Amino acid sequence: MANWSKLQTRSFLESSARDRAIGLVDEGTFTELAGPFDRMSSPHLVALGEAVEFDDGVVTGVGRIGKRPVFVISQEGRFIGGAVGEVGGAKMVTTIDLAIGFADELRAANPKIAPDELPLVAISFETGGVRLHESNAGLLAHAEVMDAFQRARGKVPVVALIGSRIGCFGGMGFVAAATDVIVMSEFGRLGLTGPEVIEEEMGKDEFDASNRALVYRTTGGRHKYIMGDCNFLVDDRIAAFRGQVTELCKLPVGDFEQFRRIGSAALVEKQMRAVALAAEMQPKDAYDVWRRAGNNDPAGLGDAPVDDFRKQAQRLSV
Amino acid sequence: MKVERQWNTLERDTAQRMEAAARFIGPGKQVKVEDVVPLLEAVVRPGDKVNVEGNNQKQADFLAEALCKVDPAKIHDLHMVQSSVPLAAHLDVFEKGIAKKLDFAFGGPQSGRVATFIREGKLELGAIHTYLELFGRYCLDLTPRVSLICAYEADREGNLYTGFNTEDTPVIVEATKFRKGIVIAQVNKIVDKLPRVDIPADWIDAVVQSPKPFFIEPLFTRDPGLVTERHILLAMMCLKGIYGEYGVKRINHGIGFLTSAIELLLPTYGEELGLKGKCCTQLVLNPHPTMIPAIESGWIEAIYCFGGELGMENYVRARSDVFFTGPDGSLRSNRALAQTAGHYALDMFIGSTLQIDQYGNSSTATANRVAGFGGAPNMGCDAKGRRHSTDSWLKCGREVPSMNELIGDMPRGKRLVVQGMETFGEGRAPAFVDRLDAWKLAENAKLDLPPVMIYGDDVTHLVTEEGIAYLNRCADLETRMAAIRAVAGYTEVGLRAKPEETKRLRDDGIVKTAADLDIDPDTATRDRLAARNMRELVDWSGGLYNPPARFRNW
Repeated sequence: MANWSKLQTRSFLESSARDRAIGLVDEGTFTELAGPFDRMSSPHLVALGEAVEFDDGVVTGVGRIGKRPVFVISQEGRFIGGAVGEVGGAKMVTTIDLAIGFADELRAANPKIAPDELPLVAISFETGGVRLHESNAGLLAHAEVMDAFQRARGKVPVVALIGSRIGCFGGMGFVAAATDVIVMSEFGRLGLTGPEVIEEEMGKDEFDASNRALVYRTTGGRHKYIMGDCNFLVDDRIAAFRGQVTELCKLPVGDFEQFRRIGSAALVEKQMRAVALAAEMQPKDAYDVWRRAGNNDPAGLGDAPVDDFRKQAQRLSV
Repeated sequence: MKVERQWNTLERDTAQRMEAAARFIGPGKQVKVEDVVPLLEAVVRPGDKVNVEGNNQKQADFLAEALCKVDPAKIHDLHMVQSSVPLAAHLDVFEKGIAKKLDFAFGGPQSGRVATFIREGKLELGAIHTYLELFGRYCLDLTPRVSLICAYEADREGNLYTGFNTEDTPVIVEATKFRKGIVIAQVNKIVDKLPRVDIPADWIDAVVQSPKPFFIEPLFTRDPGLVTERHILLAMMCLKGIYGEYGVKRINHGIGFLTSAIELLLPTYGEELGLKGKCCTQLVLNPHPTMIPAIESGWIEAIYCFGGELGMENYVRARSDVFFTGPDGSLRSNRALAQTAGHYALDMFIGSTLQIDQYGNSSTATANRVAGFGGAPNMGCDAKGRRHSTDSWLKCGREVPSMNELIGDMPRGKRLVVQGMETFGEGRAPAFVDRLDAWKLAENAKLDLPPVMIYGDDVTHLVTEEGIAYLNRCADLETRMAAIRAVAGYTEVGLRAKPEETKRLRDDGIVKTAADLDIDPDTATRDRLAARNMRELVDWSGGLYNPPARFRNW
């Protein structure tokens, strides 16, 4: 087992799904559910003669932050790029349902229970979306996770953490968007269609996927923070993600509505205004939008240490 | 008997060519972009030896493309003599029948086409050289008649500023111009005043401002994010079992991730071992971004560079105690001098290879690619002409049991030549093989010799995840082969290792595993790296390092 204290200073970007899960909650509190010893691996991969992993690339379990039970889902990018299949998807859904069930139970037993003693779900995304080897089951899993979010809404807050190598793309980009709060590091990337796919479909002139600076300022944490697609931008340390989740753990579930980017008529209108702005501006580069948001030196801001960025960045309001 | 002849035919021929070209050359030797092809048709003659400047970094790409556009009816059978052929245009001249023969040092991305063209008879190969060997031949039997070079800037008289990426330019121009050849330069910009003069105007015949800045490849930038824990284990073994063991001070690092890992471990593991100041103080090396933490931690006294590296301009300028910079403050790299330092003044070369055979010969050639050598063999060999001594050189020589078989009781040192790689490389290809693919390439491309990067007798140390083989401590070929087998893991070569033989070699200190070196592989983690990503390199540099876009993840 990884040393918890050492994990705290570890780069979130470089950490495995399991280390992220263990380090996110209080020391010694993480219990893995449906872990590798339970050998729940994908039957579809077996049928195709592909290698399997006994956790199907998703670490699920429960721990505590303070008094709050935290149900953790953590995707592992080193197994088929974190792609979501039937078993991994079922583990995700079941974990959320466990959190909802537990919240109901606790409330039934003690209607006056303090808000910071009720469960919260934290999902550490590292995925390109659906696992093509089992695409129908994988797609269904995406829908089921979103459905579980709807069941959780107003009962159990769902927090997305994005700061791992693969980023969060494909269908899981939609799924992340449907959570209550998104916490990213500058190395996190969030989007629908991945850079390589855009280049392949639209050509290098449209999007040069080998230009990492372009990729990051279009899909990376800093841009998502300015755009309001993510709520919090934290340092690339497990402790920093943990710190942000700890802050969120203090809030009652009703307070999480303020963080949502989608899911109400008002938010739909806001999104529509953003679309209208894009149509009007015809931006050629993310930096055009940064400038529009009131950042006079976008390149300097993009290059600044993340701490300075957080202090100086003006976020887009529409 | 005294011959009767004219003794200045080259001079007269050049004068004739320049007269034909005169109408394209304006004041300050400037040529318009649209006149470049006719200019080349005027100064180049069939059968000429022609150099197009380019190596693994900067490229005279505009002139290379212009040469492809000359009329093959007028200009044909050219003999290309040049460092490398990485651009499509370098091979297109053969496809079009403009050039016929090639002498070069390094293939790069076109090395597959080189092999195909040789097989199809489109290209006649002279030889594959090392850089220094080819430069030597420029000054003897492969002197270019016309050289097409590149520089950052020219002034109104035609003086050139090659600056940070001076690289091969001086040697090409010197060899060409002083044997009455013609030198044409493409520059990014024509300015009133140059930061400094690297090549004087009277060595240049024509200058053209190219429509686009010349292409340059950031070939020596390694993202610390891609260094694996396996690389770190190998690097730790190298630092403890070789750098520390021999106290090696003057070093060249190859291009791979193993040496990047070593560079990033100097300020951490290297300091734990107490090696700071005792090891790795002078380097012949491009300005590797992964060297920044070691430089900033005060490990490095001096670095001499073959070429520049994109993004390192300001950092190098601000560290003039370490790098060789001009009166204007910018780096002056020089490949020929760096290779000379690499051949004579180094105590150790350390790099990786693609394949190594059961005798220790190594090669980066595959069956269908004429990859070439570049500079590695100049450094990855024992310089037979070396006469000065250093402690590490003497120690390495003292350990060679067979030294007396050739020179009796005369003491002599030996350069450390270290090859480090995982037993299975990219795509699970075995690094250890019975017979190098270079043999197949020699057959496919009709070469006289299989292209060997480093010969087995020059390799002194082999490092894999299985351990270090101290080949310099082996008395005979049989022992060397046993030591190679002992670190070859589960490859076909390694599977022939006999446990009792390996045990004997370990007892004799000829093979050392990580455990023998008291290194716990579980502690070979990325936490040890002084910088774990590009951003941390920028931070170490105090914002002076400016990585190219493709390496930025912010």
